[in-house]
Amino acid sequence: MPISIEMTAATAGMESATLVRWLKAEGDSITEGDVIAEVETDKAIMELTAPAGGVLGRIDVPDGTDEVTVGRVIGWLLAPGEDASALPSTTANPPAAAAPAEPEPKPEPTPAEAAAAMPAAPAPSPAASAPQPASTSRPFASPLARRIAKERGIDLTTLTGSGPRGRVVRIDVEDLEGQAHLGQALPGQALLEHSGMRKTIARRLTESKQTIPHFYLTLDCAMEALLEVRSTLNARGEKAKQPYRLSVNDFLIKAVAIALQEQPAVNVSWQETGLLQYTHSDISVAVATEGGLITPVIRKAEEKTLVNMAAEVADLASRARAGQLPPSAYQGGGFTISNLGMYGIKEFSAIINPPQAAILAVGAVEQRPVVKEGELAVGQQLTLTLSADHRAIDGAVAAEFLACLRDLLENPLSVLV
Amino acid sequence: MPSKERLEALAPWCVLESTTTDWTGTNAKHLGTLLTSMQIIRAFEEAVLELVGKGLVHGPAHSSIGQEGGAVGSILALRASDQINGSHRGHHHFLGKALHYLMPDGMDPANPINPDIQTLLTRTLAEIMGLAQGFCRGRGGSMHLRWDEAGVLGTNAIVGGGVPMAAGAAWAHRHAGTGDVAVTYFGDGAANIGSVLETMNLAAAWKLPLCFFIENNQYAVSTEISEVTAEPRLSSRGQAFGIPAWKVDGMDPLAVNLAMEEAVATMRRGDGPTIVEADVYRFFHQNGPLPGSAFGYRTREEEDAWRARDPINRVAQQMIDQGMIDQTGIETLNTAARDAMQEATEALVDSSGEKPAIREHLWPSADFRDAHIRGDLTEFEGVRYVEQEDYTGNLESRRFVDTVAEVMHRRMSQDDRIVVMGEDVHRLKGGTNGATRGLSEDFPDRCLGTPISENAFAGLGGGIAMDGRYRPVVEFMYPDFMWVAADQVFNQIAKARHMFGGDSAMPFVLRTKVAMGTGYGSQHSMDPAGLFATSPGWRIVAPSTPYDYVGLMNSALQCEDPVLVIEHTDLYNARFPSPTNDLDYFIPLGKAKVVRKGSAVTVISYLSMVERCCTAAEALGVDAEVIDMRSLDRAGIDWDTLGESIQRTNNVLIVEQGPLGTSWGGFLSDEIQRRFFDWLDQPIQRVLGGEASPSISKVLERAACADVEEVEEGLRNVMAAQGRPLPANAN
Repeated sequence: MPISIEMTAATAGMESATLVRWLKAEGDSITEGDVIAEVETDKAIMELTAPAGGVLGRIDVPDGTDEVTVGRVIGWLLAPGEDASALPSTTANPPAAAAPAEPEPKPEPTPAEAAAAMPAAPAPSPAASAPQPASTSRPFASPLARRIAKERGIDLTTLTGSGPRGRVVRIDVEDLEGQAHLGQALPGQALLEHSGMRKTIARRLTESKQTIPHFYLTLDCAMEALLEVRSTLNARGEKAKQPYRLSVNDFLIKAVAIALQEQPAVNVSWQETGLLQYTHSDISVAVATEGGLITPVIRKAEEKTLVNMAAEVADLASRARAGQLPPSAYQGGGFTISNLGMYGIKEFSAIINPPQAAILAVGAVEQRPVVKEGELAVGQQLTLTLSADHRAIDGAVAAEFLACLRDLLENPLSVLV
Repeated sequence: MPSKERLEALAPWCVLESTTTDWTGTNAKHLGTLLTSMQIIRAFEEAVLELVGKGLVHGPAHSSIGQEGGAVGSILALRASDQINGSHRGHHHFLGKALHYLMPDGMDPANPINPDIQTLLTRTLAEIMGLAQGFCRGRGGSMHLRWDEAGVLGTNAIVGGGVPMAAGAAWAHRHAGTGDVAVTYFGDGAANIGSVLETMNLAAAWKLPLCFFIENNQYAVSTEISEVTAEPRLSSRGQAFGIPAWKVDGMDPLAVNLAMEEAVATMRRGDGPTIVEADVYRFFHQNGPLPGSAFGYRTREEEDAWRARDPINRVAQQMIDQGMIDQTGIETLNTAARDAMQEATEALVDSSGEKPAIREHLWPSADFRDAHIRGDLTEFEGVRYVEQEDYTGNLESRRFVDTVAEVMHRRMSQDDRIVVMGEDVHRLKGGTNGATRGLSEDFPDRCLGTPISENAFAGLGGGIAMDGRYRPVVEFMYPDFMWVAADQVFNQIAKARHMFGGDSAMPFVLRTKVAMGTGYGSQHSMDPAGLFATSPGWRIVAPSTPYDYVGLMNSALQCEDPVLVIEHTDLYNARFPSPTNDLDYFIPLGKAKVVRKGSAVTVISYLSMVERCCTAAEALGVDAEVIDMRSLDRAGIDWDTLGESIQRTNNVLIVEQGPLGTSWGGFLSDEIQRRFFDWLDQPIQRVLGGEASPSISKVLERAACADVEEVEEGLRNVMAAQGRPLPANAN
């Protein structure tokens, strides 16, 4: 009997992915575990492995198909001795029918259970905790949207609805209509198709800004001492057996990791069922890539040495830029640092990365006039802006955290112990 | 010890009995007419019961066998131009008046049937069987028999329901000064219902030539009259209202005739209404061919005793005794009547098959179902329609309510047919709100203050409208009062044209005002639009400006159908540019008006909410198209205007002020989704008050009604649901 190859979920809660290309052709022999196709999720490109051995009998979903639903059959493996006549017809396998069944509803935990579970609970992955439209056997769409889609041959299952409960409304099909007529853009215009990653960023940040009550705290740090320590260490690092070079950002990550341990009230996540408290300082570091922003996670940063951490950050950043981060590398952080200092940005306010409750926006270290003991002087200054979720963190708590962070940065030796 | 003085009722009340000399002094022709008419009715009723037994009559057939003496004895005292109506047991009234109309000079027992009578019998039987050739095209059936030409206004299936309508006919007779009278027949069961008692009071107060003819057949279905009233002599009701009354043995047709002669003379003299109570007996049960004793509520002995006093035998025996006819003559009459019914039955029933069946081609066409719910509006041919944009007359700033009074004054000065009635409309400088200011001064006989009897005066208005000589404008001080007048408003006025076959007009204007916001509380704050919209027959207009009020009131008064004109207390004292020198233009029924152009959502509203919708749209900067519906009934929905807008905006918000239960938008949203489903980008949204009727407490009343804030919320919702949420700080 032929074996179906299905789109599998790379992460919990993943609903669909783009099938970038097949690495095998129809008729190729395949061993179980062979990489047979490349799949792009909203965060990374992944490899799809064969669920069994055999001959690739038929490809149902061609290269470059967007939003292939998890569970949808994308191809068939034939056992030895079978030929294509053993394959089911393609119409017998509509994508909707192959969609995963809705999971059984879980009973709500009692408050006591929820509280007891909290400290040990693993950090939720963003995908799992972000609100998702309920899995349905058909897309909700307004009558008008359905009529327009039918007239223009648009597959409603490929759309994300803007209406209540994810209902596809006119604006959604008309936006798509604009994309479909890319070649007809007016002179001086070009309509660039959204990547899956772009859509995810748009959706999650919109949701964040609309649902999380942000507040912002800003303070300046004197960086002379830290720059001096960094300079001393880097001079030694050049000559070390394993050479290293520390950035200001590495100090920052380490300082934040320590500050989070000292102010655990900031190392939290707002959940409808309760406040999730993280044990470790798992710090997401924003990395700009060609496709968009991605945030690999430095786990247990409070336990790592500066040197080890610097190496890890460099590795994650380069893999991220290559689009090769596995989901496990960018899921589950508890706090995000976004640093635009390298562009000379003095200060900015960042949007919280849900379900986290805070993000630190870091500007450039620069020389600024400062007043020291009544005298005007030139100082090396860094401006930090913390965005916090007021549902989870009160202003005074966040201020204490930020003050603690400044203290660590201004007394950098404390970061080393 | 206090002293007491016995009080006497103002009106006389007597028992009238015939004497031997009355009988011997009555000529053969008169008695022959009594006999012939009763015998034809008896034969007719027996034929109906036979058809009932064969399953050929759908629905009830309430036989009058045994009661012919009351109907025929009284009708012979009338003239052709007098009018009657009757109850669910009305075959004998209908036939009695129709026969008298066809044979005004009397009937001959030796030659009882002629072609006209044969046609009458066949068409009446056809109506009872629901066939197209019936007097009401088969719509009315046994309980709704109307032949306007013969003076039968229509029998009625609601106990007492026809009584106020008959008062309307009597009012028209009196106002026209013709000396004609109206007679309303009803049974003992109706003697205790509000419609009858309210109408007695009103008719007496206004001295209407209306005879309340009570056929006391002793039983309301199975309930004996003495079980349900402490005064079973039902003519006593006249004592309460100052109406002269006669009690008479209904099994003695001559006594009935003599009593009725006196009653008619009283009415023709202008002395107001009369009551005649005839004690009669139906030989059968409420309906069908079995005697009442078969159902156990009365005995065979009682039935036998009444049957022994059969009114037909009474007249026949008297005529035989006086040598006016012999037994052969009686047989000849009976045979002729039976043969006529045989002929009528054969015309309608095919007995050639295994079982007798109604001849197939005689049924009305099923597509006749909804015909004549309303008139065809041909009465509007040639009228001058002018919208405000095209108006060339003067517009001055006036209070809305001043225009209400002025346009009515203008119409009444131009059209003598218009008569205004309602509580206090003739006093207080134009009623409680000034809406009838100046009318009673200039038209004292056409601006009538009524007793607080909405059911009676609404029905009286309906009777005037159906009569056709005058055009009533009835005011309900508050719309909630329609509940106490519900039978007349919905069962009678709304249904009359359709139920009686489509030939009768109902040019009735009902004015009322929505008073939400005045603190009058749960029983004075409804918006009647939704409820009236459920009632086929009613047209509804709800003007939001004085300019539209004039045009729509002119159309309401022109229309041959009942029109509800809804006003609003919020608008009454507001100032608007109002027409002053030309109050004669019309605005079409069924024409909405786009008062604000837009493309993001079609906002549908009416009356005082129209302005609020515009205000909210401006405040939020929403590109909303606001449509003032103006006409609100099912036939008056302007689908051209709505459809054009909805297909362009793809989103609908229906805005009403009042509560959910009786709201108007429900039926409209149902219609919209069926017509425009494929153009909708979201479910039809609505703005409404709460579930409860508004309370008196100012805070609770505000919470129960929609206002600008609720409209804004509705607009936000409707924009958010199309993926275009408004910024939180819009406004």
